[in-house]
Amino acid sequence: MDKVLIFVEAKGDEPRKASLELLSEGRKLAESGQYSVEAVFAGKLSDTLKEKILGYTERLVHFTDQVLEHYTAQGFSLALAAYAQETDAKMILAGATRIGRDFMPRLAVLLHTGIASDVTEARWLENPMTFVRPIYGGKVLAEVSFSTFPVIVTARPNSFGIEEPSLKKGEIVEKQTGVSAEQVTTKVVRIDESSQAKVDLTEADLIVVGGRGMKTAENFKLLEDLAEVIGATVGATRPVVDTKWRDQTDQVGKSGKTVSPKLYIGAGISGAIHHIMGMDTSKVILAINKDPNAIIFDYADYGIVGDLFEIIPAMTEELKKRLGK
Amino acid sequence: MNIVVLAKQVPDPEALVEISAGGKKLEIEQKFATNLFDEFAIEEALRIREKHAGKVKVITLGGGKATEVIRTGIAMGADEALLLEDEAFLDGDGYATALALSRAAAKEPFDIILCGRQAIDHDRGEVGQMVAQFLGLPHVGNVVKLDIADGKAVAESAIEGGKEIVEVQLPAVFTAQKGLNEPRVPQIMGVMKAMKVQIPKATLGDLGLSPEEAGLKGSKVRIEKYLSPKKRPPMQLITGEPMQAAAEAIRILIDVERVI
Amino acid sequence: MNFALTDEQEFFKKMVTDTVDRLVVPKAREIDEKDEFPRELWREFSKLGYLGLRYPEEIGGMNADPVTAMIFYEQIARGSVGFAQSVIMNILMGTYFVFRFGSETMKERCLYPAMRGEKIGTMCFTEDQSGSDLSATRTTAKKDGNEWVINGTKMWITNGPIADMATVLATTDPSLGNNGLNFFLVEKGTPGFAPGQVLDKLGCRGTVTGELVFDNVRVPEENLLGAEVNKGIEYLGEILDEVRVMTAAMAMGIAQAAFDEGLEYARKRVAFGKTIGNYQLIRAKFADMATEMEASRLMIYNAAWRIKEKMNCRKEAAMTKMFATETCLKVVDEVTRIWGANGFAHEYNPQRHFRDARFLLSGGGTHEIIKDFLGRMIIGKPR
Repeated sequence: MDKVLIFVEAKGDEPRKASLELLSEGRKLAESGQYSVEAVFAGKLSDTLKEKILGYTERLVHFTDQVLEHYTAQGFSLALAAYAQETDAKMILAGATRIGRDFMPRLAVLLHTGIASDVTEARWLENPMTFVRPIYGGKVLAEVSFSTFPVIVTARPNSFGIEEPSLKKGEIVEKQTGVSAEQVTTKVVRIDESSQAKVDLTEADLIVVGGRGMKTAENFKLLEDLAEVIGATVGATRPVVDTKWRDQTDQVGKSGKTVSPKLYIGAGISGAIHHIMGMDTSKVILAINKDPNAIIFDYADYGIVGDLFEIIPAMTEELKKRLGK
Repeated sequence: MNIVVLAKQVPDPEALVEISAGGKKLEIEQKFATNLFDEFAIEEALRIREKHAGKVKVITLGGGKATEVIRTGIAMGADEALLLEDEAFLDGDGYATALALSRAAAKEPFDIILCGRQAIDHDRGEVGQMVAQFLGLPHVGNVVKLDIADGKAVAESAIEGGKEIVEVQLPAVFTAQKGLNEPRVPQIMGVMKAMKVQIPKATLGDLGLSPEEAGLKGSKVRIEKYLSPKKRPPMQLITGEPMQAAAEAIRILIDVERVI
Repeated sequence: MNFALTDEQEFFKKMVTDTVDRLVVPKAREIDEKDEFPRELWREFSKLGYLGLRYPEEIGGMNADPVTAMIFYEQIARGSVGFAQSVIMNILMGTYFVFRFGSETMKERCLYPAMRGEKIGTMCFTEDQSGSDLSATRTTAKKDGNEWVINGTKMWITNGPIADMATVLATTDPSLGNNGLNFFLVEKGTPGFAPGQVLDKLGCRGTVTGELVFDNVRVPEENLLGAEVNKGIEYLGEILDEVRVMTAAMAMGIAQAAFDEGLEYARKRVAFGKTIGNYQLIRAKFADMATEMEASRLMIYNAAWRIKEKMNCRKEAAMTKMFATETCLKVVDEVTRIWGANGFAHEYNPQRHFRDARFLLSGGGTHEIIKDFLGRMIIGKPR
């Protein structure tokens, strides 16, 4: 049976969702009878975390080398390469997270093979095995195949489902890969948790915009509060700026700023073409309006028909809960 | 301080891209631009040179419009250039591309290699790290601040929810992320120099590569076909009482869309 | 024949396009609304060195060929016509005669600073009662010892109110018509030289345009810009074609800016459940606009190439100016239609392009005059 290694990443005691997705896929691979699947973890492994991972795999290999306690691209790629060679792995998977995307390409070079980065679909059991990855900013998808082994893949989070953990717990194996401190020439001096300075609207990843439905300048405080929790920037529509509730520099729209954030939340906005032309390329659009016929819903991915004065504060509270603030 | 910048000419972000020949080919509107992230890399290289002296060399791989990225680099102030022009270099995957670029970079001694965190055409985000590995060097990815002193670099790397400050001995590879700097507008003297520059070229042989190691032939990963993305689904209405709807919206944004 | 831009020209176009997108486009609306000379942008832009575009490299210029210059004129006009007018005046008409006939000290004092943007130049042809008909020029220049004494009033002078130096068309004898014309350099501060009324224009706002008054202005003999007296009309002929083709290039700049707005709107505005770009009548507009713009550009590049090759192109230049400007007028009109009622709103750009385009009707010769000239040239003298 061919060996599959799944690199597991965690945050504290929680495996990353991307890892759980791959472990769930890994089960299917194991069930096919063609593969034997192992989870691989490097760094501090708490008992809680161990239990959680073992619910998804028959075998968890824990790299215990001192140098792997903290993530470095060199350390992790060398360790995984050594283990892959030792086990003659045919496939190595990781989530396309910051870390996965950072070190897996190095692993590919170490193993003289290719990598399919940031894939969103996988046809593991077909011959040839193919993967789908978005290119040109998602305008097109490319279906790719490998001509060498091992196959190395990073998978975009949320591409696969997560199954329930099984009751049968797998085994854990501790492993020294032999990576030494001298082989790692980068040193993490410190990590700064986000100290979010106000980002300009055109640069911001997250934007909360208010329209005429905000009713008064003071009510924008509700949007400020929401924005504060997630480090978003607050914008406004033209009528809001015209009535001087907000500054001209906050205006989103054709004669204001053209924005293209990852997330756009619009509250009390009808969706005049002026505004639409300034925001319709946003990745995810959530619109909140009490009028179910508001044009903005035609451009939104998600919509809530209701009273923003209830919904926005509720969202703020929920966010605080979820983000532990 | 010798700085190598790996840069790429890509279709303009707004160029129309359509699938043709039953998924075998892409028809791309003939509008080109320097890869945005590579522009940050060029600008950073120039700033390092302005502070520490030395020279900046821009290397690119590709035919046709590829020379424009080199000319852009020269117009901004780069000193030297190298074009990997052989047909055999084209259509490679990350591995083949990184192998060729690493050989090209290593033709002369260098202290720093800079490149964009990814090219916005194939969105691989692999080449910088792979070049580093081919050359046995460390890399720091997604760099938003870079300070060079005493043969060392202190780089700030953008990570989820913050920044990681990394110290690394030179030579090293850095991949540039948005926020690193504001690229300059070239002056006409630079533009003129760039218009006239004779661009040195390298072939497979010059880099000690065989045809089997480069481009499509040297690729470990190949594109079988192109597919259209699923159409954006119609708006999904989140219903329920305000508290419920709000909670559901947050759940979707955090767990499904992962934008927060 | 070869219709392609060279790699160098393509690259230049890209650089200028990027530069204009970054520096000029974001300011265009404000320039139009304020209708004031954008001094800060001028400083920033002139630092880049484009003002020496046409002049030799030895004196800090770029020595651009006419095709390359047209690429520049189009792009800068695409960004903001108001700003482009001022820039192009310094590059071409406002400095040409100083470059051609000025003494070295005069160049040191006027031309080189103008190429660096430190001085603003202008060219004064038009008067209240003469524009296309230069033989009707009433501003006079009389020799008095080793000085020239200039008297008269010039109108519609681009950069006039802020000019540091002016190349002034004046006649030694109004009865000589075209054969009495000469160019003189008059610098700011010369007694009797003063700006008059500033014009409030429909379009091309941000370029300050106005009256210049010459009241017994005395300039030294060397300020006559010409090798011989009364040959001004001949010297004017040296740049007339280039000025006309430049006007055509500016027309394409405005047309392209409007076209791009129209395209964006057609791709985003939804009517009857589809974006309006799906409707045949909207598509037809784009087909027509693109075709005529393509034809205009071919004419521009052809005429510019003839200028470069020093071939006669009086006819081609006139045709190009007229055709490109008419195309521009059509495009800005169609784009305001595509934009529907929004095309009538000050808040959006189409109305600005609509106003700006009309400016080009008179610059470089009215189309009535051009048509008359062309018709006469084609048919020949009546028997």
